[in-house]
Amino acid sequence: MTGNNSEVLIKVVDLHKSFGKLDVLKGVNTEIHRGEVVSLMGPSGGGKSTFLRCLNLLEKPEKGSVFFEGEDITQIKKQKELDKIRQKIGMVFQQFNVFPHLTAMDNITITMTLEKKIPKEQAEKTAMELLEKVGIPDKANEYPGKLSGGQKQRLAIVRAMAMEPDVMLFDEPTSALDPEMVKEVLMVIKQLADSGMTCVIVTHEMGFIKEVSDRILFIDEGTILEEGTPEEIFNNPKSERVKDFLGKVLY
Amino acid sequence: MGPGIIEIFKLYYPIFLKGAVGTLKYAAIAVGFGSILGTIIGFIHLSKNPVLKAVASLYSTVIRGTPLLVQMYIGYYFLPLAIPALNALSREHCVVLTMILNSSAYVSEIIRGGIGSVDIGQTEAARSLGMSAGHTMTRIVLPQALKAILPSLGNEYVSMIKETSLAGTFALYELTYTKTLLANKYLIWQPLFIMAIIYLIMTVVLSGLVRLLERRLSAGDRK
Repeated sequence: MTGNNSEVLIKVVDLHKSFGKLDVLKGVNTEIHRGEVVSLMGPSGGGKSTFLRCLNLLEKPEKGSVFFEGEDITQIKKQKELDKIRQKIGMVFQQFNVFPHLTAMDNITITMTLEKKIPKEQAEKTAMELLEKVGIPDKANEYPGKLSGGQKQRLAIVRAMAMEPDVMLFDEPTSALDPEMVKEVLMVIKQLADSGMTCVIVTHEMGFIKEVSDRILFIDEGTILEEGTPEEIFNNPKSERVKDFLGKVLY
Repeated sequence: MGPGIIEIFKLYYPIFLKGAVGTLKYAAIAVGFGSILGTIIGFIHLSKNPVLKAVASLYSTVIRGTPLLVQMYIGYYFLPLAIPALNALSREHCVVLTMILNSSAYVSEIIRGGIGSVDIGQTEAARSLGMSAGHTMTRIVLPQALKAILPSLGNEYVSMIKETSLAGTFALYELTYTKTLLANKYLIWQPLFIMAIIYLIMTVVLSGLVRLLERRLSAGDRK
């Protein structure tokens, strides 16, 4: 566990985001520290995924700031600079979004060689080590069409890891998986979290949140309604809204 | 009734074959150059600039919403008057230019649709990794979009083979023009059927090739 006195990696100030007339985020403030594992919990449509997608500017907030390593990335004008920042913020999607026209190996190496100018041989060596770490080295030359959902998601995770990010964002990484594949993906994320990687996770896997998180943010109606350690949130929720939510999702 | 179709074909086959070659040539020029122009227009249509977007949209709506024959008349009679620079071109070239412009509007929609058919998640994944917008287009989106684009371009060529029949109206030597060439020999109905059969052979064979290509490309999905 990381204390709150460690370095602030991401600082979010008064974040607002709306889609047309729908206000999804209505002023979110928080800090994420290096090495911390933060989970976002709350009802669907509450703004969890939108919040996550604002952290690497896949969504452009209308108002407020996102500081990454001290720099307000919402103020970056040059596309190239933003690309460099995004290399340091890995993201894993619900629908995997692996590149179907590239082999597992090329999925990992393409951005390394194109944008970081890492020599192909070196990139492939790194990729192979990563594939071994997540148990699919034998799939290196396969196209994603031949991989199971769990294997695709593990590939997507190491594809992001290959860019050597400072933080990993997980947007419901197991929601599109067959039930028997959920665990293999969660194990990989747990492994990452244990290794000291800063993680921000949106998931409905309550058992996993409880086990892996340093801190839980309960997000509803576009704001952080409550935050605390898993202990505090699960055993002693303050607001009725959180109690009600947990009552409904915990069997 | 006069002589039959087969006798007429035997007698005049060089005229028909030259017409068929002309048809394939004009269709290739129209779709070939139309593809280059259409790709540019398609990308303009996809751009974020609202003015450029509207211009591209208007272009494709007007051209696809009016008959090619009317466009050819405009190209033949009006364009050289309106744009004096076009006087350097022959009237024939103005008709060919019209076909290129016509095809480009259809191709622009094919490009737009093809790129739109690629899941937005692919772009998001690439950008989240820090890949540039340019590389995301050339390395991630376009290779996947080609699966939809290439067969559609093939079909555009097949349609254009039929569309070029209108160019005979302006004395361009394509397959339908053979009817005019043979009319002075008092042959009215035989050339029509010969033309129809040749058109049919060309479109059926080429459509078959497009389907083959389509199957090849989608086979890649399963690999």
